[in-house]
Amino acid sequence: MSSTIIFPAQPEQILKGLGKLWTSLGEEEKHQGKPTVLRACAMTLIVATDEPDAGFAASQTISELMHEHPARGIVLAVSPDAENDLQARVLAQCWKPFGKAQQICCEQIEITAKPGSWQNAAPTLAGLTAADLPVIFWCRHQGAIKKDAAAADQAGLEAIAKLATKVIVDTAGMASPDGIALLTKWRGEGKVIADLEWTRLTPWREPLAHIFDDAKRENTFAHFDSLEIEHTEEKPPMQALYMAGWLSAPYKAKVTFRRASGYGPGIQRVSFRSEEESIEFERTSADCVTLWSSAGRERKYSFGRPSLTTLMTEELAVAGYDPAFNLALDRACELLA
Amino acid sequence: MSVLVQPLPEVNPLQDSLRFARRVPPCAIVIFGASGDLSKRKLLPSLYRLFYERRISQNFAVIGSSRTPMSDEQFREKMRESVSRFLEDAPFDEDVWKSFAQCLFYVAGDLSEDASYDRLKTKLDEVEKSHQTAGNVVFYLSTQPSYYAEAIKKLGAHQLQKGNGWRRVIIEKPFGHDLASARKLNEDIHTVLDESDVYRIDHYLGKETVQNILAFRFGNGIFEPLWNRRYVDNVQITAAESIGVEGRGAYYQEAGALRDMIQNHLSQVMATVAMEPPTVFDAVNVRDERAKLLRAVRVVKPDDVAKYAVAGQYGPANVGGQDLPGFRQEPSVDPNAQTDTYAAVTFFIDNWRWADVPFYIRTGKRMPKRVTDIAIQFNAPPLGLFSQETKGGLREARPNLLVLRIQPEEGISLRFLSKSPGSGMRVRPVSMDFNYGSSFGERTPTAYETLLVDAMAGDATLYTRQDMVDASWQIVQPILDVWGNSKFDFPNYAAGTWGPKESDEMLARQGHVWRVP
Repeated sequence: MSSTIIFPAQPEQILKGLGKLWTSLGEEEKHQGKPTVLRACAMTLIVATDEPDAGFAASQTISELMHEHPARGIVLAVSPDAENDLQARVLAQCWKPFGKAQQICCEQIEITAKPGSWQNAAPTLAGLTAADLPVIFWCRHQGAIKKDAAAADQAGLEAIAKLATKVIVDTAGMASPDGIALLTKWRGEGKVIADLEWTRLTPWREPLAHIFDDAKRENTFAHFDSLEIEHTEEKPPMQALYMAGWLSAPYKAKVTFRRASGYGPGIQRVSFRSEEESIEFERTSADCVTLWSSAGRERKYSFGRPSLTTLMTEELAVAGYDPAFNLALDRACELLA
Repeated sequence: MSVLVQPLPEVNPLQDSLRFARRVPPCAIVIFGASGDLSKRKLLPSLYRLFYERRISQNFAVIGSSRTPMSDEQFREKMRESVSRFLEDAPFDEDVWKSFAQCLFYVAGDLSEDASYDRLKTKLDEVEKSHQTAGNVVFYLSTQPSYYAEAIKKLGAHQLQKGNGWRRVIIEKPFGHDLASARKLNEDIHTVLDESDVYRIDHYLGKETVQNILAFRFGNGIFEPLWNRRYVDNVQITAAESIGVEGRGAYYQEAGALRDMIQNHLSQVMATVAMEPPTVFDAVNVRDERAKLLRAVRVVKPDDVAKYAVAGQYGPANVGGQDLPGFRQEPSVDPNAQTDTYAAVTFFIDNWRWADVPFYIRTGKRMPKRVTDIAIQFNAPPLGLFSQETKGGLREARPNLLVLRIQPEEGISLRFLSKSPGSGMRVRPVSMDFNYGSSFGERTPTAYETLLVDAMAGDATLYTRQDMVDASWQIVQPILDVWGNSKFDFPNYAAGTWGPKESDEMLARQGHVWRVP
């Protein structure tokens, strides 16, 4: 269910559109005489995108995220085809859990902007955030985060980021120095930041960490002073730097990066060695990672490339400052230097 | 008794508590009764799921044991069938299964034979080396209850209750058949094990929504001030099942609804709803408070049992065009059985917070629907200013109702009055709903997953302790005694209804009515 185009995209008009939407959803309840719709909202999720699909993919991802993180979703799509400078449309994302009688609905606002106008969207967005709830800004506007972004785009991005309690970017595909520069700049301004390239590492990091939960390995982590990371890209991508940063942060192990062929982008293999033991963690097929230890253990893990929805689901569950990420980022900066 | 405990390394610099699952130490799990239904349907699928989600240690092994002769390979194949069949909301991954299967072993043997324990000891020593389980072992008694005492004695006789690491024993319900047998079982257990090594499972306490009661009460500031006799009129706990005994007639005939549900699950739920806040959220303090609450429940006198407890048994009925048998017509059930398939009890908690507030608990089979919930009914406002109804010339007020839904639609709703739009002051009750699934759409772990991980991690918060079991038997024993010496005119409710009329009368005597869940 969605509204007609709202122009100008004034917050008051948009909120009125949302009000009408809920009234019409409530009509159904009146007829049925029992609650049929449950309104759910735990945050405001703003997504800015300059993808050529005019926000379609972003909207799709938001609708998938709503199931686990119900939110007032706001998609700010920059499109040369936009009819007006800034125009809006409101809709309800509803789903009915299997076997349940009641629909669960979240609000979504789609704002379309011309390329020269999106920079002025912040005041509109400021009036649309849900009261007293966190505001998460997921920046998919690659043009605004690239190294040589136009000043106006950077300013627009800054203005939106100021509204947010947390800013999420994805540095996949960015040159590592550019990614590091972007993140350290924002962090220096006091923002809580997250990078989906770091989130992609969780399926690697968790089993690696488990190795040192074994009482027999107590305090042996520091013995592993040699660390090698293989990646499929020509230069170490952000993901490899994060992995190296995370593993070497506690004890400053010697890190080597190596290019290798393998399955898909990013890390292919992580190995660390001590005098007593070597441990390898390697992608052995497109959907499997195998852990080997020279002590004779082997274990396979399922490893599908996580979707954006999976990554965002994890990231939205981390509300505030992420110490492990920040430590890894610090160390990645040092390694890059 | 001292047990060598090997704790996790205090500092694992790679741990990330924001994103990783809880840390669980290496261990082996021995399942007695491994070819039984519980193992096939719940335990192995839960362990596989935990393995798949990397929530258990890499150094882990399962040793199944039962009378059926089987090789490790045969056991693995059998468990593969069970896991792929009974795995809920999760994919079955061949690669992961191969790794998991390498952690499965089998020892055939009779629980009463000494040789079985010798073989088990040998196998444990092997997996301790091959799977680096650090000598930590959880023994899971998934056998017939009559074997519990003997199995534990034999564990002690074969020195299996101690080793290089910690040893814990998980015991399934029913924990005793009555107060005396529960106490005897406890005595037997304590000749071998410390109470701290005993994990009595009550899977209701592992349910996310039961745990959420604690979060709801003690994580928020607005409800707890109202959570007492000054504001609460009565509490109703309902656990209704729409199904009958489903082939368990022989077992159920001996147990009955009071023993099967109220003595354990529902009394623990009541304790969770009514307990005082613990000073620290840990196993000792939470269980202390639950036990304290159960000890404060008034033990009904034999002469008062008829006033405060109602037994029922369903008779045949046609529901939705289908003829349903009465309990006495179910297979393996005595045609003159006096078993309670429905039980309703009024409890009073004699403490400062709850004095004189009735806690009504009911459970039954073949009721109109499957539902478990807790309803806190608050006092009505002193004057029903906006009510349309009149009763005895007075305006009747509609009290607020807070419902904690355990299953199937887990959540919380608060009923309050609101003005209907339009002129005039017409009011109607509306409901403010929190739906667990809509706010946390992620898959919630099953109760067995939660409880297994807790036992491996040494967290007994959600397990029942000896004094809790004892106290819950004490409050139902007088009722069991009186019912055991009574001859009921069963059946007294038809399948597909909310129970016998005597149950409604029990509430009516206190000026209350059962709500319709």
